[in-house]
Amino acid sequence: MPDIGGIDLFVLEFGDILHYYTPYTTTLFLLALIFTALAIVSRPEGQIDIAFGGDAYYAKETTLPEMRFRRFMAIACGLATMGAMGSGDLFNFTLFASLVGITNVGIVAAVKNRHVLNAAYEYGIVAMVATLPLFGGAALILATTGTLSIPALAAGGFAVPFVGKALLVLGVIGEGMAPFYAAKAEMFRAPGAPYVIMCSLSSLLIFLRVVEIAITI
Amino acid sequence: MIPAYPLGLLVAFASAGIAFFALMRETDGLHRLLLTDLIEVVTLAFIALVGTDLAEALILPGLVVGASELIALSEIYRIKEGYTRPPADSLQIEVMESAPAILAAILVVYGIVLSGFSGGAVAGLGVIFYFLCRDHNERFELIETASGYSWVLWIIAFFVFMIFPEYWFFAVMLAGSAILVKVMAKMSLIGTMRGGPNA
Amino acid sequence: MLIITRISRFVSNFQNLVALFAGACIIISLIGILSLPLAFEEHQLYPKTLDPASSLYPYDRGGVPFGTTEVVAQYPENSPYVGYVTTYLTPLSQYLADHTHYLGTTIVAHPGGIIDEILYNTRGLDTVVETSILFTAFAIASYLYRREEE
Repeated sequence: MPDIGGIDLFVLEFGDILHYYTPYTTTLFLLALIFTALAIVSRPEGQIDIAFGGDAYYAKETTLPEMRFRRFMAIACGLATMGAMGSGDLFNFTLFASLVGITNVGIVAAVKNRHVLNAAYEYGIVAMVATLPLFGGAALILATTGTLSIPALAAGGFAVPFVGKALLVLGVIGEGMAPFYAAKAEMFRAPGAPYVIMCSLSSLLIFLRVVEIAITI
Repeated sequence: MIPAYPLGLLVAFASAGIAFFALMRETDGLHRLLLTDLIEVVTLAFIALVGTDLAEALILPGLVVGASELIALSEIYRIKEGYTRPPADSLQIEVMESAPAILAAILVVYGIVLSGFSGGAVAGLGVIFYFLCRDHNERFELIETASGYSWVLWIIAFFVFMIFPEYWFFAVMLAGSAILVKVMAKMSLIGTMRGGPNA
Repeated sequence: MLIITRISRFVSNFQNLVALFAGACIIISLIGILSLPLAFEEHQLYPKTLDPASSLYPYDRGGVPFGTTEVVAQYPENSPYVGYVTTYLTPLSQYLADHTHYLGTTIVAHPGGIIDEILYNTRGLDTVVETSILFTAFAIASYLYRREEE
């Protein structure tokens, strides 16, 4: 099996679930860590709409409770992404991916804008039904190989069915819309820059991780 | 004879296809939300097909993820459509107004005796019963905070299991009590979240 | 119009999002059906044994409460006390289990006790993430709900 992640730098053991960090996943982990720190310290943007053809403009204010809630969701999203980066267990990884999906919905759901809410709702439906390919893929791999541990699968000797990998990748795409950012464009109308960026960054990171998993196992 | 597992997979894949086809054709927001349940069931079928103790343990997270996303999405749907008032004032059941509060207390105590997940469910039922009977102005934030702290206890119990495995008995008891409070708080909150001002 | 422009225009309309994802899932389901039969691996972790004579049937995990139980874990060396946590019953459930045969079929049954070996010990991180998902979803719902109240 191709080992694209590199050698293990650090292994954290939680019973049957290992967290392991290779140079590849460490890079992704640090990226998530830096952006979570940025989301904690930075203040939200003040978006301004300019009425076309005149001098009038609307300043969109983010109220304090809304800001606090969205910052909480952004931090939770960052933590979930960090968890997904290191996870060495297929089922645990899918759970972290679902957590990223629901925090992404949470980041934009607090906005009092009908249009943003509509987009968040549609996106939330996709994130919800994406649990079928995610859990289905993990369960299929468990049934056909008898293990969920990524290091054990990467060691070789198991015939991982193609459809299992495809289900996993499709599930992660559904949770984060990762390479198809056009689909999330409406959600990004929500004011509050650092938190919205967390949405796209987290989905990109979990997508990069699932590609690595699909190639390794 | 056809082996059971591929046969089960065939049925699961076929029902997944049918469920997604229904979702693809549906355009109404609320109906889409209802159709997601059809898909969640197939998800559980995929896990259950493994048929080991491990699969039994994985079903619970699978179920909880679907249920919790349903809570969040239905609340977003309600806000997005602007439904604020419940159709009727509240439950109009006469026996609920005269029911003694002691029944609720019995349920809560019995739930604590049971402890664990099912204990939390029974105790939560008692709290819902109490709120339904009485004209309540309960403090949502307080219940929420209790739920949050019990979640933290749960996490602590997990780390005791992992870092100090020799104190496993303490961790068992900690996790058991934490899940009792957590399930009770969540059930009572969901049971009283009916929308509208102080409904 | 370039094909990429057309595709991104279709994708950017969020009304099409669910249909698009559902379509992709249908294709994967068809691939899944075509790739059958997939062989079932017989050597599974945490295998299930059914004992119809047990009063906890069908939830009996085997073993003695607070004693050693045989568990096929992925990394047994990481959990030195594996097997100790399983089959714990609360006193009331223990009483019912001793005196009736159908504890496993009622609501007061605690599959594996208040604490389940797999869920809470060896694969405890699963439950931690799962409760975090519930907590997050709950925070979203109650935030939206309480904002309406104000």
